[in-house]
Amino acid sequence: MTKNILIAFPVACAIMIGMIGCNEPLAFDKKREISVVTREAGSGTRGAFVELTGILVKVDGKKKDNTTKEALTIDGTQAVMSNVSGNEYAIGYISLGSLNASVKAISVNGVTPSATTVKDATYPIARPFNIAVKDSVSPLAQDFINFILSDAGQKVVEENGYVSVVQGNTYEPTKLSGKIVIAGSSSVSPVMEKLKEAYLALNPNVEIEIQTNDSSAGMVAAKEGTCDIGMASRELKESEATDLHAIVIARDGIAIIVNNKNPLKNITMTTLREVYMGAIRSWEAVVE
Amino acid sequence: MEGVFLIAALTSILSVFLICLFLFVNGIPGMAKIGVFNFLLGTEWAPTDSPASFGIFPMILGSLYVTAGAIIIGVSIGLFTAIFLAKFCPERIHRVLKPAVDILAGIPSVVYGFFGIVVMVPFVRNYFGGSGSSILTASVLLGIMILPTIIGVAESAIRAVPESYYEGALALGATHERGVFFAVLPAATSGIMAGVVLGIGRAIGETMAVILVAGNQARMPTGVLGGIRTLTANIVLEMGYAADLHREALIATGVVLFVFILMINLLFSLLKRRQAR
Repeated sequence: MTKNILIAFPVACAIMIGMIGCNEPLAFDKKREISVVTREAGSGTRGAFVELTGILVKVDGKKKDNTTKEALTIDGTQAVMSNVSGNEYAIGYISLGSLNASVKAISVNGVTPSATTVKDATYPIARPFNIAVKDSVSPLAQDFINFILSDAGQKVVEENGYVSVVQGNTYEPTKLSGKIVIAGSSSVSPVMEKLKEAYLALNPNVEIEIQTNDSSAGMVAAKEGTCDIGMASRELKESEATDLHAIVIARDGIAIIVNNKNPLKNITMTTLREVYMGAIRSWEAVVE
Repeated sequence: MEGVFLIAALTSILSVFLICLFLFVNGIPGMAKIGVFNFLLGTEWAPTDSPASFGIFPMILGSLYVTAGAIIIGVSIGLFTAIFLAKFCPERIHRVLKPAVDILAGIPSVVYGFFGIVVMVPFVRNYFGGSGSSILTASVLLGIMILPTIIGVAESAIRAVPESYYEGALALGATHERGVFFAVLPAATSGIMAGVVLGIGRAIGETMAVILVAGNQARMPTGVLGGIRTLTANIVLEMGYAADLHREALIATGVVLFVFILMINLLFSLLKRRQAR
């Protein structure tokens, strides 16, 4: 009995080590199923991705996120990246600012995702972060906007993984005091919080209140004057643009990522949509 | 001095009470708003659509499937290990094996999850197909995780059987194996069952390891190589961004999980009482 165990133990160990060793995969096999990786419901990145790619369908005020039910659901940008870097057959999406060499970002409609292509709006999966104000802006709110558009403000934007839009403006604190109310998009509010912190460090007598709801509510509030500045993570609609004028404070790009072993370099928007909606299941239809 | 002990004792009771209160006060209204049947038996989980659907039936099934898989693997291996440790193992090996099993219990679950995602998921993907994040992977991983619980309780249950049972069997001409399996083991059944129930409790409540290897798809199970979302994973995944009814639905998911755990604990104490008798 004892002898058997003494033999069995090393054998078991060898099998275990073999299991680990054999995980080194062979060449990329096009016939394999695509492991679609998505973010959890409620995530801002997922919200932007499904909206920009048309996976989110809106009919008569109803919204339906048509992301395939087979998609692996993973919480957090880092977790998506580590999953894609460990799975040759995975495809995922992350905010462009978080991209690193562990995964490969592919072009969409032939455009490489980069700060430049996001800035000039040629990369299709990108959106502007807008703030909207009425023509009569309070001096204090105008001062805050000046700060956002200055090099110091745009640096805050870049530090948080977004793409800056303007360069060359300088900002001098004006020592104003009072209160600014900002309302709108939950996608814009995280970077707005950071801008607020940086601004308050320079102007300690100012109070800023940020109300987070959504782009449309922010625009309505700005129009009605219940807030000084509205935030929108999209272009303004025509009806909104009559009373408000929009200022782009940053742009946000979403990179489509695959494993480094994947030969895929480019994907069309249509194919991407079909992959995420479950119409295309195998890499064969995607990789030529 | 007695007061200090009393306060210490009350702390834990108070904690249980407060957690119950929090769960039910926050979870029940949400469940009522969604509708108890829509919530428990709905198969569609789409919290960000409008109108949103909050059906957690896929997650209830997910938790049950993964736990059942873990029990199949954990109990078959764990029970034989316990029998071996109690009745077959030479003292020399026992000295090594027992601490090794105990170490297994001390490994943090996120480390199990990491092992799962780095070793088991690619293994399943390369040799069985699919994406690798599946019911199978999660079951095997959980099966390993509940081993120490089952082994520990089952071994002490077997050791608690009076030696006279075994000696009696031998005296009647039974071999060592026969004596262990047909005289000792039946006498230890309720103790072993208690170990299994504890294992179920651990498997159903496990979160971190499962979230990393199960795929977390919120839809009805499609097979052992398809992924699944468990109740615990559903809460952890979406809590960070959830607001309003979505948030309440997640707390209500916690209520369902809590009820499951209560039932399991009740079962455990019933078995314990039967063993004591």
